Amino acid sequence: MNEVNRKWYDGMGHSEDWWAVWLGLFMFGVGLLTIWGIDWVGWQLRPSTWTDFSKAAGPASKNYAGLGMYGSFLTTYVVWTVLTGIGAYFMRLDVKKFVAGWTVLFVIAWVSWIIGHEAHIAAPINDFQKRGITWGLSLGSDAGFILALFVGLMIGNFFKPLANFVKEACKPEWFIKTAIVYVGINLGSYSLRAAGFAFDLAIAGAAATFVAYLLFWPIIYALGRKVFRLPREWAAVFCSGISICGVSASIATAGAIRAKPIIPVLVSTLVVVYAMFELIILPGFYTAVAPDQPIVNGAAMGMTVKTDGADAAAGAILDQLMVAQAAGKGIMWQKDWILTSALMTKIWIDMFIGLWAFLLALLWVYKVERQPGQVHVPVSEVWFRFPKFVIGYVFCWLAVLGIGTLWPAISKAMMAGAGTVSGPMRSMFFALTFVAMGCISDFSKLKGMGRMAILYGISLVVIIAPIAYLVAWVFHRGMTPPLVGS
Amino acid sequence: MKSDIDLVIVHDGEKWIARNDEVQAVGRTLPELDADLVRSLRRAGGFRGRLLTVFMGFDFATLPTWVRQYASHYFNRVVRVQV
Repeated sequence: MNEVNRKWYDGMGHSEDWWAVWLGLFMFGVGLLTIWGIDWVGWQLRPSTWTDFSKAAGPASKNYAGLGMYGSFLTTYVVWTVLTGIGAYFMRLDVKKFVAGWTVLFVIAWVSWIIGHEAHIAAPINDFQKRGITWGLSLGSDAGFILALFVGLMIGNFFKPLANFVKEACKPEWFIKTAIVYVGINLGSYSLRAAGFAFDLAIAGAAATFVAYLLFWPIIYALGRKVFRLPREWAAVFCSGISICGVSASIATAGAIRAKPIIPVLVSTLVVVYAMFELIILPGFYTAVAPDQPIVNGAAMGMTVKTDGADAAAGAILDQLMVAQAAGKGIMWQKDWILTSALMTKIWIDMFIGLWAFLLALLWVYKVERQPGQVHVPVSEVWFRFPKFVIGYVFCWLAVLGIGTLWPAISKAMMAGAGTVSGPMRSMFFALTFVAMGCISDFSKLKGMGRMAILYGISLVVIIAPIAYLVAWVFHRGMTPPLVGS
Repeated sequence: MKSDIDLVIVHDGEKWIARNDEVQAVGRTLPELDADLVRSLRRAGGFRGRLLTVFMGFDFATLPTWVRQYASHYFNRVVRVQV
């Protein structure tokens, strides 16, 4: 069966992007039932910082306390296996292989995440006495993400038969886009308390992204063409991949200029592998170098790290590291604002892709490879390339903000369920993203990529990262997350 | 957009191929493909002398599975051909 986008609704049933929206909105809707006193999401397993393993995790809501840790784990597995399995069926994946791979990813994600919650790893310094410990790494409560990534990378690079076994379920973009829809709930909830800050973040993110675009693309295109002698098609696809947002930008650009499909596929391989280096290095680097610029760091991350999955994952690690470090100094920043700043710039970038690709298509068809009077670029191309998960993200953001503003009396009841969706459910999808990304990141793929791999490395270190940081600093400097309780 | 003919377009690693149940056109470049399309339409008969609007939608399912999670569209093009 072919997959051609002809009508505006094509892809709604079978694309990962749309399935992130369906999965996101479905669980958001179920979570909202707590407004009427119906809790259908409290079974979700939620980890806690622990020294006694029997208290490492449990149901998110007291309504399901009877399930205990293992009952909650099993329920969480069954519900999400069914939901993602339905998605896999409609996405025309091999459902049996998907469920088998998903099960492995699910177990690795949870084991890593729970280990990461052990008090010596996660507890902040000011909690040592309360937890009865005398030393610790104070990495924050989601340090398990790093472990999940490490395990995934081990599988992807040293246990290739296992990597092949889980391949059908390795959908980091689907997982992270679903999680980002849930982040919209958080943003709505935070906007109720700090609307001005959320608005400033959105506007500054848009401005920074626009400026960064104008600088990245022409500089790297010129470098690719003049110094590295890349053919025009390769240079255009390559510089969209590294300048804009990785794989989706390189596919959009290649489609816009009607390049052979092999070009974006090869560029995408580079993007995915290099994104892993960025994810591993940048959060710790930014935290060490600029501990007093959390929002600048987050925004720079969004403009530097390619692929939504790697950016969100890097943003989550940065958030953990910086919030934990600030807590050690007695500054209690609210969680997730740094992650939000990383996502905000990335989401603006994602939204610009369709427009950028459309302009590029016009340029290519009417200027570069002109065939007067013959070829037409349909405006619908902009819609087909629009990242649909953004619809879910914005919907959740505005829905929570709207309900909370219009009916403040039910805010608490709303967040009882929606908070479970945007809390442990969202974080679970982050953990799954980390494992899945690790499993598909095979560093040996860099072999044989020659000058493209060198150009990518140089562009990233010398052009993208410094300019992104400078632009982020110009638009976000001095912004810090609101304090806990403010 | 309304079109007279709808084709699915793919790339096999060497050349572009646009086809439906009745017509198939092949070309190493898109201008070659369009020229072959005119020839194919002439061979198919029934279109002679007409100015046709041809829609070509790229079959995204021909891209590797791992890359399809990052995007869901390659390109559509609309060509006007005098048969």
